[in-house]
Amino acid sequence: MLSCQEVATRASALIDGELSTWEGLQMRLHLAMCKGCERFIGQVRTTRDLTENLTAADTHEEADDGRISEILSKLHEEKKQGG
Amino acid sequence: MSTARAEETTLVQLLAAGERTAFEQVYRKHNSSLIRVAVGIVRSRATAEEVAQETWIAVLKNICGFEGRSSLASWIFSILINKARSRAKRDGRMVSFDGTGEDDNLAAAFDGRGRWKDIPELWEVLTPERILEGRSVMDHVNTAIEALPPGQRSVIILRAQQGLGAEEVCAILGISEGNMRVLLHRARLGVRAALDGLM
Repeated sequence: MLSCQEVATRASALIDGELSTWEGLQMRLHLAMCKGCERFIGQVRTTRDLTENLTAADTHEEADDGRISEILSKLHEEKKQGG
Repeated sequence: MSTARAEETTLVQLLAAGERTAFEQVYRKHNSSLIRVAVGIVRSRATAEEVAQETWIAVLKNICGFEGRSSLASWIFSILINKARSRAKRDGRMVSFDGTGEDDNLAAAFDGRGRWKDIPELWEVLTPERILEGRSVMDHVNTAIEALPPGQRSVIILRAQQGLGAEEVCAILGISEGNMRVLLHRARLGVRAALDGLM
């Protein structure tokens, strides 16, 4: 039977579906009997979902237009100098 | 060819043709993540912004040579990592992504038989918009990511936020897949610990 520490070490592998059938079974057996580990896995799952949520939205800062113009202008300069 | 791949090919052609709107699209999609990754390496926001700018110039100068062997995002981040590492080296620091010497800070939570000393709390529902201690949950998540060591920070941004595949992330950072998984797990534990402290 896995210890709580071993379950915690494998938390990401479990929620990412990277465990073998046997490992997954051992984890589920432990989780069925351990409230602490069940809560911990829930916390790691919530954390994963939140960190993935940060993502996708494209930024649109007001300063972006100026920065983009600066990059294009520097590029133009470098090309003119043959860089 | 998949729709996403076809769209990227078109985007690359537009970038190569010097279309500003295409550049704006790519810039807005990746620039904040480029800066976040770079800050972890060069340790200064101002320097990270310079490195990101140098990266964009290199991307536009060399876009005609982009052959599509990796995704465009993967290529852009590879350029960034090289530039950020060179800058750190110039400043007398070597940056390693393998996480050697780091641990997951969890060992102290267990007794000698590997059981929880204190059972983890049941978290209330955490939505991205929820306010804790005057700031949104996502603000807290961002702050926690910024406090992570460079390897963990880079992996969580590239995998979770940029959605790059495991192989791409390993190639960009020069680490093994097993190492990448450990870093991602530790990064999540770091963010989890920060959130747990707020609950």
